[in-house]
Amino acid sequence: MIEPVLFWIGSALFIIGGVFDLIAAIGLVRFPNFYVRLHAATIGAIYGAVLPLIGISLMALGLPELPGRYAIAGASFVTAILLLIVAPIGSHVLAYAAHKSKSVEWNPVVDHLAEDEAK
Amino acid sequence: MNTRILVLILLVVSALSVSIAASLLLDIPVPRGLKELAVYYVSNTIRDTGSPEAVAAIVWDYRGLDTIYETLVLYLAIVGGLAIFRVTLKTITKTPIGLTLFSKTSTKIISLLIATISAAITFHGHLTPGGGFPGGSALAVAAMLIIPVFSMYALLEKGVTSTKLVALRGFALTAIGLVALLPVVRGLEIVTNQKFYPTQILGIPVGGSISLYNIFESIAVASGFIAIALYLSIPEEAYKTGESSA
Repeated sequence: MIEPVLFWIGSALFIIGGVFDLIAAIGLVRFPNFYVRLHAATIGAIYGAVLPLIGISLMALGLPELPGRYAIAGASFVTAILLLIVAPIGSHVLAYAAHKSKSVEWNPVVDHLAEDEAK
Repeated sequence: MNTRILVLILLVVSALSVSIAASLLLDIPVPRGLKELAVYYVSNTIRDTGSPEAVAAIVWDYRGLDTIYETLVLYLAIVGGLAIFRVTLKTITKTPIGLTLFSKTSTKIISLLIATISAAITFHGHLTPGGGFPGGSALAVAAMLIIPVFSMYALLEKGVTSTKLVALRGFALTAIGLVALLPVVRGLEIVTNQKFYPTQILGIPVGGSISLYNIFESIAVASGFIAIALYLSIPEEAYKTGESSA
């Protein structure tokens, strides 16, 4: 009884992930400098990859006739959790390195990292 | 410039026309269906080698001698690389700083997970796809994450030096050689698997010598790759200022 519900929630997450990927791609093209483009790329990594992966695991759980559905669901859920750990750290490290090397030209409204380093 | 493009087009067109003409004129038989050898492997692997994973069985049993020589070739390649980057950092001149706290913490989690996955790939190499080389490469990836995030000096402070890694690699390769040579003592062929090594230990399928080869190969590959990564991350000044000795 719960299987169709799981399947439809999973499909919804999958489609929402696709929409976020599109938004992230537009942001990557339109945004003015490295840091905000990095923000758009991370949107693509988190909402555009983690959400669809959780959606896939729910869809697999919602298909009783699918062979090996628990393996698919578990693997995609674990991958989603791993991406949730890794993707923000990747962009954090990139932003940190760009800030350290002063290789981005920008006019920040507020720059807490520079204030902290000046102390 | 134009003649070069013309020659290129001429070459592509002539190669295409020759191959099309050959396939039309000559009646080359196209293989359909499985070859006899493939059928043999599929139906006899488990009986011949005690390993349900046909790829591992082919790599370490049917053509095990070939794989052992390949391992030797990779060993020589790494020895050549180390000979080019022949420096030893005598004193640790810098304290490790590394990146931010977030990246360090997540790298700890991720490298532990990678090490676990690598162990799983290695120890199940005779049961599931994987084996020694992928397992060792996965372990090396963990070290290659640690080097940029925690800095090379953090590894050196912990005692992970290239010298020790090369020694470990030598040990692992010696072990592979011994596993291959031991059956000769009982008058069997070199790289004999089933007649010498047990197929099961306490009811757990170990695939004879295949699991031993996988474990030692993963140690050898991981230590070799980590040693190369350490050598490649030695800063350029170390070579220029002569704070290192050949």
